[in-house]
Amino acid sequence: MPEHKEAPADREVDTMRCPAPDFDVREYARDAAASHRDELELGAYKTSPLGADTLRLLRYLQIIERATMTHLRGVLVTATHKDARITAFLTTWAFEKYWIADAFEQIGLAHQPEGTDVDRAPFITPVERTIREAIYANIVGLPMIAVHMTLGTIDTWLSQAAYRRLIEIEPHPQLTRTIEKFLALKDRQLEFFELQSRYRLTESAQARKITKRRLVKTPWPIGAKAEPPHETEFLFQRLFGSAREIISELDARIDSLPGQSGLNLIRKAARL
Amino acid sequence: MAFDIDKYTSTSKKVVWGDLDFDQFRTNPLPESTLRSLRYMADIEYHTVCYLRDLLVTPSHKEADVSAFMTMWNREEFWHGEALAAVLGAHGVTLDFDQLKATRLKLGWKDRLDPIKQSLLGNIVGKDFIAVHMIWGAANEWSAVAAYNRMADLEQHPVLAELLRRIAKQEARHVAFYATQARERLGKSRKAQVLARFALKNAWGPVGSSVMDPAEVTHVMGHIFAGPEGLREIRKLDEHISRMPGLDGLTIVENSLRNKYGYVAA
Repeated sequence: MPEHKEAPADREVDTMRCPAPDFDVREYARDAAASHRDELELGAYKTSPLGADTLRLLRYLQIIERATMTHLRGVLVTATHKDARITAFLTTWAFEKYWIADAFEQIGLAHQPEGTDVDRAPFITPVERTIREAIYANIVGLPMIAVHMTLGTIDTWLSQAAYRRLIEIEPHPQLTRTIEKFLALKDRQLEFFELQSRYRLTESAQARKITKRRLVKTPWPIGAKAEPPHETEFLFQRLFGSAREIISELDARIDSLPGQSGLNLIRKAARL
Repeated sequence: MAFDIDKYTSTSKKVVWGDLDFDQFRTNPLPESTLRSLRYMADIEYHTVCYLRDLLVTPSHKEADVSAFMTMWNREEFWHGEALAAVLGAHGVTLDFDQLKATRLKLGWKDRLDPIKQSLLGNIVGKDFIAVHMIWGAANEWSAVAAYNRMADLEQHPVLAELLRRIAKQEARHVAFYATQARERLGKSRKAQVLARFALKNAWGPVGSSVMDPAEVTHVMGHIFAGPEGLREIRKLDEHISRMPGLDGLTIVENSLRNKYGYVAA
């Protein structure tokens, strides 16, 4: 990583012209993965259905994947929305996540009797804190971008770990093929988040401080609040209960982000 | 008339232009005033994410259909920006992400206060506020369809016309969503009607007028809606809006253009 000088505490002008110069946002937007329905091979689940626990986990993953608009609400009321490169990325990221959630929903439906209606119930979202968030974020200014990019980084690490464990526990060939495809999509999303996050955290002491404060307060995985606590507990227990080394590994990775060491976020979230 | 969200999402595509012969812009370039209007339109398309923000601070995003629509709509509009930027690029005009950022930075405090204002309103007024956003969105999308089609007719440039019609076709699907939502929500609530009427009458401005310089708005509106045919288009927009439950008699588009942007039809 190149050395960066400490940026002045200038909240108005983003001096970081392009924190992820190697990541071509336009190319990412162009190649974005759309609907996976044609490749889900849902027939495979008719002959060899998934276990009830796996279906429960997939439903949970579906709900956190589709919560992008709720997450964007918090992001867009801050300075982050000014950066057209980041909004172009997030636009595409939300699109890809929509179709991942859709795939999980379709797999779930394949295990229901024919003609079962899809769940159209309104989303449960955390208490509306938009006003407070907007005021706070506008005082903080640019360092909020570091917060959002770091949230994205950690959340992608966590969901990749969850996906990998899911197919380890239930090595269903078709589910594995689908999940592996999603892991690759997340690799690419991660590249942007991580480059941005590391760059911005390296650049600014204020960003490091504010990010740290924010990470501690964040419920993991992002979107967890859309589900009752026992579902989040079940996720961690089922996926990582007998693989705690993965939790330590994730926390070690978070430690490697500038100024974010010693947080043990995932261990605390998993309560294992 | 229901809006089939599944059908919409599964057929939502980024607009394509790779098959169009952009070399024609070298031999048959667009005039300066058209490029100026296109620049405006591209900016607005890219700024959709800023409107998305305003929508998201209201309770509307909690509904699965609305959330799904927003995801696709936001992406389609981004690609309209990319397509128009490509046309500008073929004329040596670059529109990059840093310039877009500069436009957004220029908005300053107004932009910072907007989500707070919207959020306060949204939370006080609650569900009825969604109706305001929906009719607002419908008005914007109707304007976009009219503007792209008008420009295609005016310019008579085969490549530009084809691209603009492709964009307009996607915008028409957005109209269908917003108009269906608005009609339903306005039809159900007298309070929503009063609110929408008040908001449109007092605060509506042409798409982009909240982000772009007034001089640019005047240029674009004067360019696109020039002449008796332009005026007819404007009145058609007002007709669409005033046909919504509780909004009869509104002529917000014509009023706004005449009073604020010095529009004269002839």
